[in-house]
Amino acid sequence: MNFLFSFIVLAEIFAIVAISTNLLMGVVGIFSVAQAAIMGCGAYAYAVLAAAGAPFFPAVCGAMMIAASLNLLTALPSLRLAGDYFVITSFGTQLVATAVFINWVAVTGGAAGLPGIPVAEIFGVRFVTAGEFLWISTVALALMAFSFWCLLRSPYGKLLHAIRLDEIAVSASGRKVLRAKVGVSLVSGAYAGCAGALYAVYISFIDPISFDIHVSVLVITMVVIGGARTLAGSIIGPFLLLAIPQLLTLLEISSSLVGPVRQLIFGVILIACVLWRPQGIAGRSL
Amino acid sequence: MRKLGIGGFVTVGLMGFAVGGAAQAADLTIGALLPLTGPAAPIGIEEQNGVQFAIDQFNENGGLDGTPVEVVFDDSQGKPDQGVLAFNRMADLGDVPVMLTAYSSISLAIAPLGERREILIVNPAAQSDSLADASSYLVNTIPLVGDEAHVLANYASENLGKSAAIIYENAAAGVSGRDSFKKFFEAAGGEVIADEPVEFGQTNYRASLLKVAAAKPDFVYIAITQSQAAMADQIGQVPSFPLGIGNTFSSPFFGYPSTEGWYQTGIQSGYPSDELVTKFKEKFDVDDMGFFAREYYNSTNLILTLAQSLVEDGKELTGKAMREALFETGTFDSDVAKLEFTTNTASRPVEILQYQGDERVVITTGSVAE
Amino acid sequence: MTMLLVHLLVDGIVTGCSIGLVAATFAYFYSATGTFHVAHAGIYTFCCYVAWYCIGLDIPFVPALLIAMIVGALLGMMIQGLLYAKLERLKATPLVMLIGSIGVLTVLQNVSAILFSPNIIQFDLPWRTEYLEFGPILLSIPQLLIVILCPLLFLALQVFSSRTALGRQIRAVASNPELAQITHLRPQRMFLYAIAISSALVAVPGTLVGIDQAMQPYTSLIILLTAVVAVIAGGIGSLAGAFLMSIVLSIIQSVSVLFVSGRWSLGVVFAIFILFILLRPEGLVKRKFKREL
Repeated sequence: MNFLFSFIVLAEIFAIVAISTNLLMGVVGIFSVAQAAIMGCGAYAYAVLAAAGAPFFPAVCGAMMIAASLNLLTALPSLRLAGDYFVITSFGTQLVATAVFINWVAVTGGAAGLPGIPVAEIFGVRFVTAGEFLWISTVALALMAFSFWCLLRSPYGKLLHAIRLDEIAVSASGRKVLRAKVGVSLVSGAYAGCAGALYAVYISFIDPISFDIHVSVLVITMVVIGGARTLAGSIIGPFLLLAIPQLLTLLEISSSLVGPVRQLIFGVILIACVLWRPQGIAGRSL
Repeated sequence: MRKLGIGGFVTVGLMGFAVGGAAQAADLTIGALLPLTGPAAPIGIEEQNGVQFAIDQFNENGGLDGTPVEVVFDDSQGKPDQGVLAFNRMADLGDVPVMLTAYSSISLAIAPLGERREILIVNPAAQSDSLADASSYLVNTIPLVGDEAHVLANYASENLGKSAAIIYENAAAGVSGRDSFKKFFEAAGGEVIADEPVEFGQTNYRASLLKVAAAKPDFVYIAITQSQAAMADQIGQVPSFPLGIGNTFSSPFFGYPSTEGWYQTGIQSGYPSDELVTKFKEKFDVDDMGFFAREYYNSTNLILTLAQSLVEDGKELTGKAMREALFETGTFDSDVAKLEFTTNTASRPVEILQYQGDERVVITTGSVAE
Repeated sequence: MTMLLVHLLVDGIVTGCSIGLVAATFAYFYSATGTFHVAHAGIYTFCCYVAWYCIGLDIPFVPALLIAMIVGALLGMMIQGLLYAKLERLKATPLVMLIGSIGVLTVLQNVSAILFSPNIIQFDLPWRTEYLEFGPILLSIPQLLIVILCPLLFLALQVFSSRTALGRQIRAVASNPELAQITHLRPQRMFLYAIAISSALVAVPGTLVGIDQAMQPYTSLIILLTAVVAVIAGGIGSLAGAFLMSIVLSIIQSVSVLFVSGRWSLGVVFAIFILFILLRPEGLVKRKFKREL
């Protein structure tokens, strides 16, 4: 059962990142390809705090705060840059973040990574196995999903939609676009930071590769395939995209090519998905 | 090609047997978690061939008490989270008591899981120094970077000069190599005057090579694990590039005009019999049974030997039993290597080799200090 | 020290020329269609493997390169015809196009690994490691080919785009597809030409870099990223800007090892880039922020 549980735990963690990305991208229209970097900041922050002896909850909160402020910093250029330009800038942000993860050896352990992050312990209960950790990740996802749902339905959420559709009109009508964007960046960053912290404590080992450009692209893919701007999409996407490689392992493939063939099938499924439902499985058309 | 044992039906079926604990429960599935796609894939596939070959040989000779041994390959893509998923997948669906691993970061990520679930993890290739005490269920059949660097640093400071430059791969093994070499070389009175990283998967090394050559060290310690051929070609283009030295991973540097006279440490790793090597080459259509193929072949044989002895003693094939049997036996001798386990890391002789013409000449042999 | 600087400069220029053609061809297709064609990196790799395979069959270098270019063009047309055109009919957003393109990239990388070799490949060409001396500077033959061929092909692309009838038609479609439709220019067809041209051209740096250094299936994305940065910094829509910025960026990256440890060089390039784009979003070569050639 551990396998199933560990799959669900990872999918739930990535669902939180997908919610974070969805909030930024689908809701306000800030297309960031750097969410894995923010998640990584949360993960490293958690690891450092935990190593310094901080208990689980304060460490997670610390990770969320750090990730939120960094996300604000990286989202700031979107106030000035439009469309493609910001996408590429966030590409740059991602690469710079990876360079920092690799090279700031004193804090991050460099390319060799940080092993031995302690097991989560809440009020004396230790969450060691995947089955036990499932409680934590499920509660976390439920909290994040609920807050996302509330946010979308609040008047604030309506304002965010309006900004995405016509930013100029919103600011002309006297609404504070800047304040809304700053608020969203903070919330989205906190989500990603939480996911990073859970990732660090669950895997117990983090290194720069865990949060590189490929992971960011994977997260975007999850959101697009699942469907932008809906809660269901943010959850379906990660579960589906993480499940495909697992199911592919059940195929019998001649041994020397097993890896490339699985990846190939993954690519084909990706293409089929966008052709079949360009708006995503549970999405509304962008 | 043999079918893979990953087919859910087969393995789940076998699982029932193993759990049922029938009198002669000799069914064994070995897991192998290797980087089969991504930048490290070339190495991963060579390793996979080595494992497959050992299993096939063993089964051709009757298997484990008449039952063929199964192997489950899984792709870690060189990513720790995929490694953890794959570990659990093999542990649950394949019910493997023992697993081969590769890649420092993945081995570090799954090491605590091995201990929790009592699955023996055998690492025949990753060399990051932190693997030494990562888990009591992780055994390394290859000395770690630090062990080799120690022997090399001592030799270099006595024979090659006191000023060194370092080129290292910016990944776990390379960084570990840089740190260990620097530590031991400075302890022996030497000085490192430049160090330059190169990225994993990079093939244009010219800027780094030029910078290192301009620093004019007595020699350069090179710790990279792939694309050595490209680097050797480009070294030929840098006038007066200093003498290079390296570790086991440097073996592919051999045989280029630009690397004549270079030194490397080599973990003594022999070839199995000619007959087997020929068979291997035919089977996988390759020119050589490479270092990784030999090491994985040997480590798979180590696991099979352990399993055999457990079956003969009428014990169950669990990770715990295998681990105990490993330390009880202690020494494993084969054509490829003599492994001695007093700690989690096998101690093996380390040679210093020099490239002289078309030969790699053994200059001296030192054993690794504990 | 100055000698080292000169060497690093030369290395940067050579690398810049190869990336420059990748950037210019990417920019050409991007400004024609607006598709963020990440799979361009896959074509780059795949063509190199095709050339490698041909040379393995004892086909001489020049025909092997031509075969690789033709395969590249056909591959590009397939991608445009079977995927991008369909997605456009489905009114997919640019982001969905990007995800589709990532799918194609994954497919191409792994097809290269399955069809040819998952290993790092090296070409079996004896002249690969021969050098020519220019004063104190040694250039390998493949490097020399890069420095000569890539700028030439870039110029050819420029001339084609501005001087020939077909080139002008493609530009017309790019700047106003609706109008072009009315005047019977058939945008989809023009897009096919555009992708065929850029894919055939990208086969050249792919193959030459493979010959000069080595090639493996999974690493071309980072080259494309550098190229894309050059495209943006050079000003979207300006092929010359893309090509020149590639050279500038490569020189910065190469020379930066003098001042910072090499491990920061990629980070430095992108940090400069972020500052740059914030202060001067319209790019180095000033153009209107509009998709056009």
